Amino acid sequence: VCQRRHIIRMSVGFIGAGQLAHALVKGFTAAGVIATHRITASSPDSELPTVSGLRKMGVNLTISNKETVNKSDVLFLAVKPHIIPFVLDEIGPDIEDRHLIVSCAAGVTISSIEKKLLQYRPFPKVMRCMTNTPVVVREGATVYATGTYAQVEDSQLLEQLMSSVGFCTEVEEDLIDAVTGLSGSGPAYAFTALDALADGGVKMGLPRRLAVRLGAQALLGAAKMLLDSEQHPGQLKDNVCSPGGATIHALHVMESGGFRSLLINAVEASCIRTRELQYLADQERISPAAIKKTTLDQVLQQPGVTVSGGANGNSRSGLSLFNNRGGPSIKKKN
Amino acid sequence: PCRMSVGFIGAGQLAHALVRGFTAAGVIATHRITASSPDTDLPTVQGLRKLGVNFTTSNKETVSQSDILFLAVKPHIIPFVLDEIGPDIEDRHLIVSCAAGVTIGSIEKKLQQYRPNPKVMRCMTNTPVVVREGATVYATGTHAEVEDGRLLEQLMGSVGYCTEVEEDLIDAVTGLSGSGPAYAFTAVDALADGGVKMGLPRRLAIHLGAQAMLGAAKMLLDSDQHPGQLKDNVCSPGGATIHALHVMESGGFRSLLINAVEASCVRTKELQFLADQEKISPAAIKKTTLDQVMQQPGVTAGAVGVRSQGISMFSSNPRTKKK
Repeated sequence: VCQRRHIIRMSVGFIGAGQLAHALVKGFTAAGVIATHRITASSPDSELPTVSGLRKMGVNLTISNKETVNKSDVLFLAVKPHIIPFVLDEIGPDIEDRHLIVSCAAGVTISSIEKKLLQYRPFPKVMRCMTNTPVVVREGATVYATGTYAQVEDSQLLEQLMSSVGFCTEVEEDLIDAVTGLSGSGPAYAFTALDALADGGVKMGLPRRLAVRLGAQALLGAAKMLLDSEQHPGQLKDNVCSPGGATIHALHVMESGGFRSLLINAVEASCIRTRELQYLADQERISPAAIKKTTLDQVLQQPGVTVSGGANGNSRSGLSLFNNRGGPSIKKKN
Repeated sequence: PCRMSVGFIGAGQLAHALVRGFTAAGVIATHRITASSPDTDLPTVQGLRKLGVNFTTSNKETVSQSDILFLAVKPHIIPFVLDEIGPDIEDRHLIVSCAAGVTIGSIEKKLQQYRPNPKVMRCMTNTPVVVREGATVYATGTHAEVEDGRLLEQLMGSVGYCTEVEEDLIDAVTGLSGSGPAYAFTAVDALADGGVKMGLPRRLAIHLGAQAMLGAAKMLLDSDQHPGQLKDNVCSPGGATIHALHVMESGGFRSLLINAVEASCVRTKELQFLADQEKISPAAIKKTTLDQVMQQPGVTAGAVGVRSQGISMFSSNPRTKKK
């Protein structure tokens, strides 16, 4: 595949400075698809280990989400799903026409984001993507869906960014939870498998480092063969099972233990949990227990942010956080 | 590029994968490669021809055209082949056996009937050499030199990871990275089933599953961190991934993979034991194949003796009459 990799001249911002933001920035910079001085990331928690990693890469770090919004054209929401409504209320008034909001949060629907942002402006450009951590080595797997007001150029921009760090394709939004179960969580299944394969090698006499290396290389090579081939995985498996040989003996013990079923179970469990998280988020209640008091305080310190507890009637079981619209009536918290 | 000539005794999956990898890597020109097999109907034979390899039905021809000889036949065929080509081995030849479970000692013992210091190496590789992401280990025989090790590493390093090991580790490597790709193909097939169950189209599910596996493996190879640490990093609290991991652990997922590596390694050692018996059951070689080999110039059946449980096959030395 020939990828023309133009440098992106827009500015990219990350709300959230955790594992995902860090992995994406590492990937983007390795790909050379955007200059680090055009990247801003924010988080109220400056103690995160990934924060210093981001700083070292030359990213502009701030504790103010509003500052990230001001400096960026493309905004990645890289926070945990239950934090999304909180963040949207905080930055809602600062969104402008140019902004493209890309949510990476598992289970958070485009319509829930659009619904929130429509309180602040008529045509918020929203996209939703599900990626995974191997973006950090530019072998990620990303799918995305396009919101009501996002344009073709917005899709092209996101695809350009995400393709620089791995496979990227557009899908219908209703497939994204399944993708989360498969390639979103997939690397964890692989790390677990690799740990176990290495244990097997060590049991049979190999030194640990060599066992880890050989196991990872075998999985990488097989995956590459599959990606480069038109053949069915079962056919590729057949090709490496010589009659009466070692490999078919090994496969038998795996099948006897229901190996395949465990992986189907895993994809299903991750997908179901994703939908569960979406359901909880759609309740639009953030339990006060879900946000640390210190974090809340830090956010409230930011200029322009106010809180009013009972204004929309949800205060009984949750915190509803919103900014007043722009104008002289905003009172700053002291 | 390697200026020596490379020959493959055997023209099956392994020879085909290695040739494809070597040519993609540009480490040797195809006109310097010869492959032989009595069976011209193998699907891989056609593939090899298309790649520009010199194909022949005569193993002896491969020997005379080559400096490095890969033995790429099934383990139980090895003694048979060694007897056939033994008299034709010269000082320049480096014999590299890729046969699972066949020891350097057994090969040297056979070849020493024909010359004093046969240069033998043993390697265990795997099929992803075809996309230049193989995993290869090798051990060096009694009479092979340092340069021979370097040459083999140059070749095998061009198609993936390659390192020297003590020979007694090779069976374990067979169980892990030799058979490993089959474990991976099975895993991706199952992951894709999971994706399809949850609503994804098949092609997308396979692509995402394979890509996730590739990306994770690459992260591990590029990282100093423990696989468990990398796993922890992708499990957010209360999230989807840790829920999935729990169901995998509940089913003993890790244990199944340890079992697999062990089963493959144990079977490899079993095959080695059977081979060391130095008996080839007549049932293991097709009559038509045997006939075809006998047709080759220089091979005699004059001294074949049929024991009650097996055929002992050896070529006479040059003084013997041609069949």
